[in-house]
Amino acid sequence: MELHDTTLKSIQLSESLEDYMETIFELVRDNKLARIKDIAKARDVRSASVIPAMRRLSEMGLITYEKREYIDLTPAGERVARRVYARHRLLTRFFRDILGIPNEFAQKDACALEHSLSDEGMDHIVRFFEFIQSCPEGGDVIARLQTCSLVNSDKKQCTGGCAIRHKEHVPSPAQMKTLRQIKPGESCNIIRINGTGAIRQRILDMGLMPGINVYVERVSPAGDPMWIKFQGSQLSLRLKEAETVLVNPE
Amino acid sequence: MSRTNSDTGVLQVALAGSPNCGKTSLFNGLTGSRQHVGNYAGVTVERRNGYYTFDGQKVEVRDLPGSYSLSSFSPEEMIAQRELVDERPDVVVVVVDSTSLKRSLVLLAQVMQNSKKIVLCLNMSDEAKKSGQKIDIPLLTKLLGFPVVETVGHKNVGLDQLKERIAEAAAAQPRKSRLMLGERLERAIDHVADALQSTEAPNDARQWYAVKILQNDPLFVNRILEMGAAGKAVLDIAEKEREQLESFTGEDVSMYVTERYYGFVDGLLREVTIQVSHIDTRILSDRIDAIVVHRIMGIPIFLAVMYGIFWLTFTAGAYPMDWIDQFFGFLADTIVAYWPQNQAFEVQSLIVDGIIGGVGGVLVFLPNIVLLFLGLAILQDSGYMSRAAFLTDKLMHKFGLHGRSFIPLVTGFGCTIPGIMATRTMENERDRLATMLVLPLMSCGARLPIWMLLIPAFFVPALHAPMLFAIYFIGIFLAFLLALLLRNTVLKGEEAPFVMELPPYRLPTLRSVVSRMMMSSWAYLKKAGTMILGISIVMWALTTYPKYSDPADTGDAVPVAAADTASADKEASFKQLEHSIAGRIGKFIEPVIAPLGFDWKIGVATIGAFTAKEVFVSQLGVIYALGEDTSETDLTLRDELAQDYSPLIGFSLMLFLLIATPCMATVAITKKESGSWKWPALQFFGLTAIAYLLSLLVFQIGTLLGL
Repeated sequence: MELHDTTLKSIQLSESLEDYMETIFELVRDNKLARIKDIAKARDVRSASVIPAMRRLSEMGLITYEKREYIDLTPAGERVARRVYARHRLLTRFFRDILGIPNEFAQKDACALEHSLSDEGMDHIVRFFEFIQSCPEGGDVIARLQTCSLVNSDKKQCTGGCAIRHKEHVPSPAQMKTLRQIKPGESCNIIRINGTGAIRQRILDMGLMPGINVYVERVSPAGDPMWIKFQGSQLSLRLKEAETVLVNPE
Repeated sequence: MSRTNSDTGVLQVALAGSPNCGKTSLFNGLTGSRQHVGNYAGVTVERRNGYYTFDGQKVEVRDLPGSYSLSSFSPEEMIAQRELVDERPDVVVVVVDSTSLKRSLVLLAQVMQNSKKIVLCLNMSDEAKKSGQKIDIPLLTKLLGFPVVETVGHKNVGLDQLKERIAEAAAAQPRKSRLMLGERLERAIDHVADALQSTEAPNDARQWYAVKILQNDPLFVNRILEMGAAGKAVLDIAEKEREQLESFTGEDVSMYVTERYYGFVDGLLREVTIQVSHIDTRILSDRIDAIVVHRIMGIPIFLAVMYGIFWLTFTAGAYPMDWIDQFFGFLADTIVAYWPQNQAFEVQSLIVDGIIGGVGGVLVFLPNIVLLFLGLAILQDSGYMSRAAFLTDKLMHKFGLHGRSFIPLVTGFGCTIPGIMATRTMENERDRLATMLVLPLMSCGARLPIWMLLIPAFFVPALHAPMLFAIYFIGIFLAFLLALLLRNTVLKGEEAPFVMELPPYRLPTLRSVVSRMMMSSWAYLKKAGTMILGISIVMWALTTYPKYSDPADTGDAVPVAAADTASADKEASFKQLEHSIAGRIGKFIEPVIAPLGFDWKIGVATIGAFTAKEVFVSQLGVIYALGEDTSETDLTLRDELAQDYSPLIGFSLMLFLLIATPCMATVAITKKESGSWKWPALQFFGLTAIAYLLSLLVFQIGTLLGL
């Protein structure tokens, strides 16, 4: 896609004319020809209102238009149409595939934005796409965004599966505590599990993971193991083990 | 017909699942009485397999040790992993607790990486339904690509379906796993798995090897290292993949992998959970806990529960014990009475003194064991056991033990055997071994007669109670000290995590409690019985041979006057004992035990105490020629003892008897429970050495001080 063609900048089209160019481009591409009737149908307007627009485009040398004849794009017209079309497609994909906006809305928003987005802005979106495609982690980032429970559902809790997100929410060291420091009757969010080996593995196996909200129920009368509740289950763990769990008090 | 991996045509099925998921009752339900309980070689982990026949197909079921995941940190997890990855059963049944599906299904995700034919068994489904959870089973089956079945193990619900599904899974074509761990991780796993093609890693387990190598699991890394250059290449690739993963996630691979497992499980559950009207079934359980583990009331309630178990075991158990005792007494008397006169006297003696005396002495404990296990099964099934561990862990942990050590140790005051058997409730091998090894230091009921004989013999009445208390206290103190020592030497190792589930309280079912109780009792009878029979015969031979014949005796059976018979018998048994191998050993070791203040008579009695601690009393009775019916209150024996020995020797002797040489039943049961002779040997020689040293110190220092 050539977006830096400076000659294009001299041609200023209104939004509706740009839309017509796009429609013609699609019709020509798909059907090899474009008729007034088809254009009107595609744009959901009357044929009568299509004709003046075609005349103007023809005057600008972007299309060939003769009465009762098929409409085709001139080479200059094709360049303009391609540019508009590419913007539309890119924006649709950005909205739909990356941000996860449903197709219907993605199309609508793309139509609105394709006319007003600056070339500079467009350029950055293209670069973003290139990054996603060339970076080995690109696909995962998108997948993570779209499956992230915090963003996609109203759940207050992260249901796991994303380590990167938590980093954004890591509180300052002053706020951070270990689970051991949380008093009975208080809640906290897990930030990280330190420690190594069997204890760490067991803590993870039990489902104590970053993002999980934990409530401290009580401490043993002897003062040592603590009793916690989370996600409907209850665990006891020694204070020494609780020390390896970094939390953000609520 | 289903494919089987053995030539025998028996379908191999493995039951995998976390502790507390009800796997064992499911196993019992499947196999009924057709099962075998043993130990995995060299570890305390129980190995259970059983059989059933379904539709003409014989099926062998293995109950894998309960584990939350398949890692290599605890022996249970390691064995479960080995059974799956190396033994490759035909079908793996993953049993999960339906009330905590999220956590339980992580194990399923892992099994999906190393096994093809799987059946998912949603156990305790009744409880889950009660809490408002409804699972779309057909959809779950479709999404997973293998059969799913709902069961209630302790009520035997769904067993037939489970058997059907197992047969179905066995007959099905293996399919590609539908586990999804995200593109990034899957790619890394595939890279490593591809590299593994050039090694000897088994094809079916390549994915699993790859995951484990990525996680730097020592077990698998070592296996790959042993494969030489090809293995080294795999590790290099894994290293690169690991670095990439870690730089991407900012977490270590283990964490990332676990997260992805949870991610998969989460997605799965979101799809198949039809409706959750979350009814909190834990309200009652929480209310019970508010009292039972209360800051102030918790400990008293715990002590009351312990007392209850004790009362059940020892007070209520005393009656059937008496009956068994009387039965064997009757049996012995009957045999003696009906034995043909003067014929094969040796055989009679072997049967009556050796076999009936020895085995009977052990069978007498059976009521204790049955009742104790009844109590423990109730505690365990109801969920109180983990609360007890919660309450006592701090104290136990100070000495390198575990909260779950408490109950076995306290049980040891009654009898060491059930105490050692009670250590089965402990998950961690090292904690369990440490508890087992120090258990004989808890002064057991059989030693009470010894204290009852010795304390009044050597000490003034004012000192009786303090002395008894001191003996018990010294035992406890030494047990803790030794546990600490063991955990820092022989049983050194990374501390086992205490992180423990606190399941909601459940009403134990009669079926599961009784079956638990019966299994344990039967195991005790069978294993300890055979070994003890052997040792009894040996001990009998040691005290019987070589035969003593009175040089004055002409050999003719001269009728003796009835009045003289008793004293003549006593005289004869004293001579016999002195003459026997045991007597000779006693004399032989006299120089060794002399520094402790002991003479050969004590030596012989101590050797006798190996059969059972209370035998010490009757042995001394024999030596002092007072007849076999010596009781601990026998004034004459006390007087004789007080005459022969000083109180210092008495104390030294009590110390020695407290600490040294656990009885043969203890040795036998330690061998059975630990799965190797190494531990009973350490227990036997270790404790005897400590006993020797302490008694030596006490006697020598006491003598120096002129006591």
